[in-house]
Amino acid sequence: MSSELRVEQLRKVFTTGRPPVQKAAVDDVSFTIAAGEIVVLLGPSGCGKTTTLRCVAGLEHPTSGRIVIGGTMYTDPQAGVLVPPRSRNLGMVFQSYAVWPHMTVRQNVAYPLKARGTTREAMNKAVEEALDLVELRSYADRPVTQLSGGQMQRVALARSMVYQPQILLLDEPLSNLDAQLRLRLRDDLRRIIKRVGLTALYVTHDQAEAVVLGDRIGVMRDGKMRQLDTPTEIYNRPADLFVAGFSGASNVIEGRVATRRGDQGAITLPTGETLVARLGAGVNEGEAVKIALRPDNVDLAPVGEGGNRFKAHVRSRHYQGSQTVYELDLAGTTIEALEVGSNASHQEATDIMVALPPDLCWAYPASSD
Amino acid sequence: MDAQATSLAMGGAQTKQHTARTYSWLPWAWAALLIVVLAFLIIYPTTMLLIGALTTGNPVVDGYQLSDLSIANFLTVAANPNVASALLNSLIACGGGTLLAVFIGLSFAWVVVRTNTPWKGLIASAGMLPLFVPPLVAGVAWAILGSPKTGLINLLMAKMGLPFRVDLYSMTGMIFVFGIYYAPYVYMFTAAALRNMDPSLEEAAEISGASATRTMATVTFPLIMPAIISGLLLSFIVMLGIYGIPAVLGSPANINLLTTYIFALTAWSPPQYNTAASVAVILMIVTGVLVYLQQKAISGRSYTTVAGKAFRPRALNLGPWRFLTLGLAILYIFIVVVLPTLALIVAAFRKFLFIRDIPALFDMSQYSWIHFNKMFDNPLTLQSIYNSMYVGILTAIVGGILSFAIGYTITRTQTPGRRIIDVITTIPVAIPGLVIGVAYLWAWIALPGGLYGTFWILALAFVARFLPDTVKALSTSLMQLHKELEEAAWVCGRGMLGTIGTIVLPLARPGVVAGMTLLFILAIRELGSSLFLYSSGTMVMAVQLLGYYEGGNIGITAAFSLVQMVLLAVLITFTNWLSRGAAEGGVVKTG
Repeated sequence: MSSELRVEQLRKVFTTGRPPVQKAAVDDVSFTIAAGEIVVLLGPSGCGKTTTLRCVAGLEHPTSGRIVIGGTMYTDPQAGVLVPPRSRNLGMVFQSYAVWPHMTVRQNVAYPLKARGTTREAMNKAVEEALDLVELRSYADRPVTQLSGGQMQRVALARSMVYQPQILLLDEPLSNLDAQLRLRLRDDLRRIIKRVGLTALYVTHDQAEAVVLGDRIGVMRDGKMRQLDTPTEIYNRPADLFVAGFSGASNVIEGRVATRRGDQGAITLPTGETLVARLGAGVNEGEAVKIALRPDNVDLAPVGEGGNRFKAHVRSRHYQGSQTVYELDLAGTTIEALEVGSNASHQEATDIMVALPPDLCWAYPASSD
Repeated sequence: MDAQATSLAMGGAQTKQHTARTYSWLPWAWAALLIVVLAFLIIYPTTMLLIGALTTGNPVVDGYQLSDLSIANFLTVAANPNVASALLNSLIACGGGTLLAVFIGLSFAWVVVRTNTPWKGLIASAGMLPLFVPPLVAGVAWAILGSPKTGLINLLMAKMGLPFRVDLYSMTGMIFVFGIYYAPYVYMFTAAALRNMDPSLEEAAEISGASATRTMATVTFPLIMPAIISGLLLSFIVMLGIYGIPAVLGSPANINLLTTYIFALTAWSPPQYNTAASVAVILMIVTGVLVYLQQKAISGRSYTTVAGKAFRPRALNLGPWRFLTLGLAILYIFIVVVLPTLALIVAAFRKFLFIRDIPALFDMSQYSWIHFNKMFDNPLTLQSIYNSMYVGILTAIVGGILSFAIGYTITRTQTPGRRIIDVITTIPVAIPGLVIGVAYLWAWIALPGGLYGTFWILALAFVARFLPDTVKALSTSLMQLHKELEEAAWVCGRGMLGTIGTIVLPLARPGVVAGMTLLFILAIRELGSSLFLYSSGTMVMAVQLLGYYEGGNIGITAAFSLVQMVLLAVLITFTNWLSRGAAEGGVVKTG
């Protein structure tokens, strides 16, 4: 019975420091997750993503705003509604796993059912099913302290789903695992959540994790939701310079808009060269802009004739085995370019021709960040 | 971004409200309950003590009278030359004792941490043993060894024809016994600082051209100075509140310290309760100032570079000199552990303490269980042991529950007023046990049908006295539990009490059990506060021992001392086994 989650104008203000300063950890955030959908909140630490999740769980009390789950109001400080976590029927997977070390795997998973007074028979059945789902059935009677980190995280997942919660909340569940395990569990997580059909809100600072797991990604910064969209939109049409930078577009080229045609425009670079880029809404002719570009979208071997061709000087080359990173001097600035494959085709201190695909260059007002 | 727009458009209309009552008054009620309990345990008795110090009426005869409340009454007492001399004696005895303790403790720390003296580990643990000996037992043992006429040392000297005599019934005697028994306090602080110091700081000094002694004087000691000062002040504070040692060693020479003077005032006929309260307040003020200084010393140690990193401390190669340091360490342990224990054994098992010559010391026909038999023939002996156990259990249960409630409230909840609760809880740090005894006496003696004369007044006084340490110990073990372990249980559908029962308590159990056992141990060895609160029906072990000593029967006194030491040793070993060292730290902080 997974439900829709609606977060409306959520605000959480902390008072910190001396003299006391009010700081909004979450600043007017609104979004809706459809039943069965996975939404990932992505952002750097301190952006308010975890606070948002904890408000949904009822562990944190927002200053204002409303949280509606399955059509029922659970949080509305103005109306004096603050349902405690235990009555929300949500599942949550914590960053530290939070599996109880004094219990076995089975006892951990059965705990929420006991709290609900489920009959022994129904409980055993539900626990077995949950353990099957995370492939830990053969570990049921082991103390959790004998498990590896990844197995503990799967116990936590089974525990959070065994009582068929309305919504599953996941707070950086993979950040304590080593890199290889993280990759495996990342794929497992999405498969398991989708098989059960749960609505899920997932918090992470890892963009790769967000892209693989989320049906939609919400990029947050300083308590504000900067963009909430599908992964392809986030990657190919970032709403602002921050979203572009956070999703990996680390190259920034400055310039000024000469002419605008539709959603594209010709931008004059400081060297006098012209670059065609996609213009965000509200970027006008004559305005100073910053152009964001992913290193992997720099075309190092353009074929035939076309626009946005630039002569670049290979300043340095960092061979990384399966890929090569080049630092290029181009149009008066330095950008990074990525070549995939074990073959590095360019030498240091040579001049090459590169193409910057106009559809993948995004220009934003220079005053934004 | 259109998701936002739709969600806003949909807002409200078809939303029903979850019907959950929120008990917003509950945290306030809980905070109020805790504050009332703490006021009853700590604030009320302290206030009554102050009132006692500021009035002249005898509470037993007149009840509590506030009519002549005046600072003049307190000042009259403070100006009394007897009070001044007791204060001066206290400062001399404890000051001298502290200096000796710092000398021994610091040398011991250096030998154990920074040299290659053999058997360092063994020496270090043996050096901690004096901490567990109740001060009264230490006093009794040294009275047996060093009383001017019948002391074993003096008898042996006389038999061997040596002109050398010792007299521990003196200021020097008290300084000596204080110094050797409280050296471990200084040792613990300084050894930790020496161990945690980055050795490269000293290496840098030596590379810059400083000699080893110069390095020690200009780098090592300045860096651990906050630890030295902190250990110094702590041992001073504990000594100030000790009753057993000055009672045994000072009283025969008519040297009164503040503690013995306070007790003497209440033992006079008629008892001088107001004067006793005034002197107790003076003792409390002195202790309070020292506690404040100690807290400052601890907080000011940021520059000691005590990083979280573990360093391998540099061990100085002493060459053949390492056997000298070993010898000195063994000498210390011999003087402070072996010699007093032997004295107690000899006194407890010999029919007569008179020893004609050296061979007579080993004449087995002179040894028997006679003192033990006499001791246990007195029904008061077993009764006092039983009473101590009973009070100990009351203290452990009440104190354990209260400390857990306070510790949980302070560290784990957002309860309003938890800062105030925290502050009230730490007040007893600055109140010596004896002063708590006087305060409780004042608080309850004039209330008919009240607590006075019951087991509960002893237990509650002990709970109040040891509250700061037990709350701190329990808070530490609670803070080690990750907050998310609790939150996970809430999200899974348990309420706060259910979570405490199924998650917090089971996980914190080692700490809670250790804390309660420690309370039990501290309660059964407590003398200072018991002195003022026992009645004929609630005589406890420590007071009974003092009774035997004052009755003049050294054999029975020594026998009972041994019984108590064995009892404590068993309990402490058990607690240590339970909690890996918690008992050690606990006894240290409270004396």
